[in-house]
Amino acid sequence: MPDNLFRPRVNEDIRRRSYYGKFIFNSHFLIFLTIAGGVFIYSLLGILQTLEPSVWLDLIASAVVALFLLPGYRSLLKPADGIFLLPYETHMGTYLKNAGRYSLMLGISKAVTAAVIALLLLTVGHGAIGIMLFLLLALIHYTVNFHVRKRVINTGISISLMTVILFVMDVLSLILVLQHPVWLILSLVFLLAADRYVKGREHPAFDWNAYIEHEEVQLNRYYRNVSMFTNVNHIDKQFKRRKYLDPLLWKPAGMSFGKEKMYEFLFYRTFARDHDLPMIILRLIILFGIVMVWMGNLYVSIVTGLFGIYVIVLQMSQIYSAQAYLLWPKVWPVDRSFIQKSYVTFSHKAVFAVTLVFGIIFAIVHPGFAYIAFVFPLWGYLTNRVFSRAVYKKEQELSD
Amino acid sequence: MVLKIEHLTGGYSKTPVIHDVSLDIKKGEIVGLIGLNGAGKSTTIKHILGLLRPHSGEIRVAGTTISEDAENYRKRLAYIPETPVLYEELTLKEHILMTAMAYGIEEEDALERAGELLGIFRLDSKINMFPTHFSKGMKQKVMLVCAFLARPDLYIIDEPFLGLDPLGIDSLIDLMVRERDAGRSILMSTHILATAEKYCDRFAIIDSGRMVADGTLEELRISLDMAAASLDEVYLKITGGTSADAR
Repeated sequence: MPDNLFRPRVNEDIRRRSYYGKFIFNSHFLIFLTIAGGVFIYSLLGILQTLEPSVWLDLIASAVVALFLLPGYRSLLKPADGIFLLPYETHMGTYLKNAGRYSLMLGISKAVTAAVIALLLLTVGHGAIGIMLFLLLALIHYTVNFHVRKRVINTGISISLMTVILFVMDVLSLILVLQHPVWLILSLVFLLAADRYVKGREHPAFDWNAYIEHEEVQLNRYYRNVSMFTNVNHIDKQFKRRKYLDPLLWKPAGMSFGKEKMYEFLFYRTFARDHDLPMIILRLIILFGIVMVWMGNLYVSIVTGLFGIYVIVLQMSQIYSAQAYLLWPKVWPVDRSFIQKSYVTFSHKAVFAVTLVFGIIFAIVHPGFAYIAFVFPLWGYLTNRVFSRAVYKKEQELSD
Repeated sequence: MVLKIEHLTGGYSKTPVIHDVSLDIKKGEIVGLIGLNGAGKSTTIKHILGLLRPHSGEIRVAGTTISEDAENYRKRLAYIPETPVLYEELTLKEHILMTAMAYGIEEEDALERAGELLGIFRLDSKINMFPTHFSKGMKQKVMLVCAFLARPDLYIIDEPFLGLDPLGIDSLIDLMVRERDAGRSILMSTHILATAEKYCDRFAIIDSGRMVADGTLEELRISLDMAAASLDEVYLKITGGTSADAR
């Protein structure tokens, strides 16, 4: 029975990835990726011509690769499996092997991309044998790390702690092997020791709860990453109290205290207390800000800024979707149009604040062209208007 | 008449779950909508709330249908669902403020009304906490506080005693009786017949999506010639002792 279970589960996961992939890699994003990727490679090749061999360069190459040598384990198990598959525990071998292969495949593209970037960096000061050894060791680490991380789930060891240990070990091993091939032996000894250590602490029986919980965490993490680019309905929303923000949260008073302002009151709290959203937006601002500063090119800065605002506006619309489909707006004696009006008021204010940050970054990077920064608030306003309408339209269609 | 349902047929899709249901609730009445799991109680409630569209028939709350004036229709109702539905990002106080804004109650009035209710349900020390972190029973109490502060013409309570501790049940019964005495009506869906027998003025018995009986316990006993029978016995007699599987 468990053998027949894997195929539909993996197909379901592939369908999910292709479904969201279509939204993430839409034409706008592909244009941005092409421009950003082209400029990145162009500027990297330019930098490489001026670089001298150095241990710092080796460290950067090792760290870039090490970041992607930690593939996560996706068991594809579901909560009900903890009850219905218990009698089949001893027959789960093939299922788990297949899940392992699938998990390894999922992380390979990012690891290969990182290896290519590292390869470019390592052309400064390293010969073919050194680079080959580096890549071989990276491949060994990728595989062993995966098995260690998979086993850790079935132990009492902290997964986060083990991930940090493995990352440090990866960076050290890779940088050492670049200094002298003999360090390869020590690196392999390290890996073997880590593997034995974790194996020795494995529970004798399969910890269903731990694996199911881990799968839920992984899936939620995937949804959170996807939610940076598009709306995700399945995301398990979590909120943080953040009591220190209470004095800053707007509350209608006097004549404003009524149905016209109640959803705006709600949206401020949804945004400020969302577990991830404020941090995601902050990360996006930092990420796009770094690209704008690093590239230093006028046109790239404009495109990056506009794209950053576009992604953030997409992010904001999930707040509206989260509220529009709940029970209470359907039961309360308040016209649904107030949700839309309140969202527009709230989101225009929030998006304006974000575009102001982009405008300031742009003005600092290109002081001579600071006047161009006015396009950011304008773009923010227009994209927010378009997206708000698209969300209402979708809501209308669903409610009909 | 606070609620008037006439020949309601409806359900979740084109296949009806409830058939030709009629029910009246007068001012200051507690009516028990009783039936087994799947009999059609929740479907009837969802139709009253306007969450489902009737296939045929009409529902009037205080003389208005939802299509005539949705806001006025909804303003006269407060709903307490079987499973608490709360905003994860709002504190208990903010739930109270949202309810107040929705029902057009002044902030000071709302907090005054809520203060009393929070005391009754022993929630006053938790006003700045997220109710989503509360136990199931406490979450249900939050739902009760929000509904009772609205003071509408009709309360619709789905399985009111589920998850409440004995003190909570006692407080809720006191509140229900107080609201009835103030001229407000309550439609209470339940399959806990022993409790319904004690506190409801009238019973509407639904079975397999059809309203099979409606009246006081005394009227039901007389119609069945079962003097001194309990509501359980009346119910079994009316439904033939068979369970429904309407949904």
